[in-house]
Amino acid sequence: MPKTETGTPKMKPRPIVRLGIFLISHSLLVCVVCCTAGVLALLLLPLLAKNTYISENALMPGSASSMISNRDISEANRLASDLSGLNFEPQDAAALESRGILTKYMSDLGAEVSYHKFHHKPNQFHPLHFFSSPDSTSSVKNFSCSAHGLNTVGIIRAPRGDGKEAIVLVTPYKFGKRGATYKFGKSGAAETLSLSIAYTVFSLLSRVTWLAKDIIWFVADSQYGEYAPVEAWLRDYHLPVFTGLGTLNADTCIKIDDLYVFEQKSIAQRKISDGFRRAGTMAAALILKVADRNELLEDTLNIYAEASNGQMPNLDLINIVNYLAVHRQGLRVKVEKVLTLLDSRWLEILGEIFELLGKVARSLNPGWKFGISAADYIEGSATLASSLYYQALGIPTGPHGAFRDFQVDAITLEISPKVFPHNKARHNEFLLRGGRLVEGVIRSINNLLEKFHQSFFLYMLTSPSKFVSVGVYMIAFALLVAPLPLVAASLYADANQLDLGVKNTKSTPTATASDELDITFRSWKWLYAAREVFLIHVWGAAVLLLPYFICQIPNCSPTSSTVIWVFLSMLSLLILYLIGVSPSTHVSISQPEEKGEWAILKSATISVVFIGLLVMSVVNFAAAEIGALLLVPMCLMAQPLKLDMKVGKLRSFLRIICNVVLGFVAFPPAAFFVVKTIFEGFDSIDMGDFWNWMESLWAWNSATYIYIGMVHLPCWVLCIHILLHSC
Amino acid sequence: MMMGFKIYSLLSFKMSIFLFLFLNNAIAYSSHSSSADTTMHTNNWAVLVCTSRFWFNYRHMANTLSLYRTVKRLGIPDERIILMLADDMACNARNKYPAQVFNNENHRLNLYGDNVEVDYRGYEVTVENFLRVLTGRHETAVPRSKRLLSDEGSHILLYMTGHGGDEFLKFQDSEELQSHDLADAVKQMKEKHRFKELLIMVDTCQAATLFNQLHSPGVLAIGSSMKGENSYSHHLDSDVGVSVVDRFTFYTLAFFERLNMYDNASLSSLFTSYDPNTLMSTAYYRTDLYRRHLDEVPVTNFFGSVMETIHTDSAYRAVTRKMSNRAGINMAVEKSVQHDDRRTLIDSNVQDPTGHMKTKDHNCPFTRTMNTFFDMVERIEHPDSLVNYGLILMLPLLMVSVWLSS
Repeated sequence: MPKTETGTPKMKPRPIVRLGIFLISHSLLVCVVCCTAGVLALLLLPLLAKNTYISENALMPGSASSMISNRDISEANRLASDLSGLNFEPQDAAALESRGILTKYMSDLGAEVSYHKFHHKPNQFHPLHFFSSPDSTSSVKNFSCSAHGLNTVGIIRAPRGDGKEAIVLVTPYKFGKRGATYKFGKSGAAETLSLSIAYTVFSLLSRVTWLAKDIIWFVADSQYGEYAPVEAWLRDYHLPVFTGLGTLNADTCIKIDDLYVFEQKSIAQRKISDGFRRAGTMAAALILKVADRNELLEDTLNIYAEASNGQMPNLDLINIVNYLAVHRQGLRVKVEKVLTLLDSRWLEILGEIFELLGKVARSLNPGWKFGISAADYIEGSATLASSLYYQALGIPTGPHGAFRDFQVDAITLEISPKVFPHNKARHNEFLLRGGRLVEGVIRSINNLLEKFHQSFFLYMLTSPSKFVSVGVYMIAFALLVAPLPLVAASLYADANQLDLGVKNTKSTPTATASDELDITFRSWKWLYAAREVFLIHVWGAAVLLLPYFICQIPNCSPTSSTVIWVFLSMLSLLILYLIGVSPSTHVSISQPEEKGEWAILKSATISVVFIGLLVMSVVNFAAAEIGALLLVPMCLMAQPLKLDMKVGKLRSFLRIICNVVLGFVAFPPAAFFVVKTIFEGFDSIDMGDFWNWMESLWAWNSATYIYIGMVHLPCWVLCIHILLHSC
Repeated sequence: MMMGFKIYSLLSFKMSIFLFLFLNNAIAYSSHSSSADTTMHTNNWAVLVCTSRFWFNYRHMANTLSLYRTVKRLGIPDERIILMLADDMACNARNKYPAQVFNNENHRLNLYGDNVEVDYRGYEVTVENFLRVLTGRHETAVPRSKRLLSDEGSHILLYMTGHGGDEFLKFQDSEELQSHDLADAVKQMKEKHRFKELLIMVDTCQAATLFNQLHSPGVLAIGSSMKGENSYSHHLDSDVGVSVVDRFTFYTLAFFERLNMYDNASLSSLFTSYDPNTLMSTAYYRTDLYRRHLDEVPVTNFFGSVMETIHTDSAYRAVTRKMSNRAGINMAVEKSVQHDDRRTLIDSNVQDPTGHMKTKDHNCPFTRTMNTFFDMVERIEHPDSLVNYGLILMLPLLMVSVWLSS
């Protein structure tokens, strides 16, 4: 046909391409809509939370009646009185004696008792070991002989089980310090109480016939914190060291001979093994604590679940604990919440609006039930905020984090009594309640046939019995980051004056040779921007590594460390700018474009932010969500201040203000101090806090640390660069 | 020419013999298939299947074992029960009472006593093995005790429990028996004359859907719930920590506990005993493939092993046809006699309050005379001499006939 031969073979693009082009050409509108919707979706999450349900059929929590008898309780009381009867002046002797009592009680129940010795090593920054699994060989080499602890492990073998699986019960206990610092103190009493509860359960479990999994009672020597002994024991449990010499006996610096004297004495009477005792793979772990604060209303159970990098235990574990505590033992179950949010005015107004909307919706159609009361909404958002924060931080909220690193589901149960039980009857009732709760949870886990796998792993709690699953909370994040690629594409198109087919001002196809050269030159211009972005990211990585060197400086206070860090970072940025970034600017000056250079830089920045946020959302969703809240508006708004200055209208003035505010808030230290001021007041601000905060991040191997250095900080620098661009 | 004719006649003779044989076969076959439902009830079999594994499915094993106990109590011997248990709850480490299984929280009755013969256990309980048992297509090495050696006169009870859904029943948490698999197997059993009557009893969720594809005559089906309904457990044993019995099975057992081997409660009384309120689901039964009226069929037809016993004089005088018209009149008479005997036996042993089993034959004068004749025959002391007299009597008859023909 002659028509097709003469005309250009203009193919109509496919609908998806046309849709993409349409979105890109209306990127501003899409930006505003998506970002608003993203923030709104985040605020709506407490409304969209579902009630938890027990997903795994095998668990059957609460189907068996409790079997704890008064005999178990009186035994536990005897243990507690024996322990608190000790008040020897030398610490070591007291520790030794109390450990001996515990061992005696355990082995009287027919449990296998063994000791686990660990060396406490202070936190050190190992940039090379950041994501690698905890290495057992390195820990053996450099320890200080003085800082060591001794955990006590009791194992009950399931009488008819196959010995392939185990349930772990952990009670942190300060062996050494009790006599001196905590003498008759409440903390000591609380720890003894948690020990009593655990002993009650342990005593029962040594008699029952229905165990299918071995029970490990791990009394952690918590004089160096609760996390360190658990972590050390788990490492030795899972990563045995096969050196020629036995690890425990090979210690060259056993100066506490009395310990062994004591053991020698006891070996004569009972079987206490010196070697490392193991049971099967761990099905689940419960960390049992009794809080030393009193609750106002009733006995309360606090659940802590967040492990490193925002990992959560399977929701079923929280469900069974919550179910048994609420419906069987009548405890009040709480999860962490941000208390300051509870009485914030704007959240209340928001809650009332949502409540009103829910009522309107229900009056329209009784089937729509999405409204919750304003009080519920505030509770939900405070809990959700805390859930989001602790997950984003990537620091475990208790010793359960150590279990999660070995793929074991674990939570910390912190029971706080209403009145501290001095009364005998009240004391026994408290023991009974706590014991029954733990027994019920253990029996339920004992019914389990496989690992926890049925329920959710990716979720956030809005109350102990409500959760937001990954499918819901991803929407908020997706809406927030969706405009980024569109804006990047549209900026690139604008800068290169590409015709996307939406405008009909198509240039004539006849192009001169110089034009063609110009086009090719222009289309490769993004490489300069990409190089700059890359260099800034390399700088970000360097900033991340600086603490390693700063740590080597002896006697350095946190405040001075912060100052050194900031100074070194700025110095390195300056050097980098002088040697690297300047040539690119000098090349691009030759371009007559007005908008071109900064637009392409912004486009490249936004692309990198997009990729960085997506990667981070896979590693740690909560950190990515908070990062996106800070970064996305700043990246989208960024425009050279000079341009807006020139125009001088109200609109551009507003944009300047927005840019400056966002640029300030998105700077990590600034954001940290702003949040701290909001929640803790202005007077508690200290420069060193930021250093401490960052130190905790790298000490706990949090991916958030890498995110801040590799994504957030470079993007902030690039945005500032765009703001201050001389176009 | 003569030879040719001879050959031809020989051939035709052979042909006719063939034809005759063929016709004979065909007639025999057709008569056989048409009279399948008139076959005598010879024996009772039970196939009891628990299809689910895992500790939390304790109740399914308890269901099956309870039914095993019931049918055994009602008279089906162990060698005619195929018991399939997918898991061993008795020896599960989580069982508080080792080696015991209970179906009630009062723990009075241990279902897993000494005389439980499990034919297929654990991972042997698969859809394949189940279908092999039904259709009888076993490998040669499979022992007789694991086979369903039923015949065309067998009444089979097929009880299944586990987790089901719309037109399927889950086996072992890994495979499914679908309703058309079951229907195919039943059809195959029918073709292979493996049963006369089959009662399929299923206690799962949406059990009724499992019967949708059944077409074979003589099949009766009861399910615990309709489509879209769940079947629930009856109660939880808080000592063992699991539910121990399902509602449908519980009420079935409650019905049978009131019965003994000689009771004549009808199937319809069993079916009407299910109350949707206590069951929390609607029991469904499918009777359109079954000829007899449920009022007339005693439950022991399937759940027990009570059948019409036929007293025969000599061991090799098989009586296969019940109402065959072609059979000689002697046979009919004899049968009625035996029938009477049986009735007196029943009447003397049990008081039959329901009177479902009243036989309807009235003695006509002819049979009465024949009876007296038989009584006389009975009184003859030496049957051999009677035969000899008969043979001697035959001789003059033969001579007369030869003389007449020549």
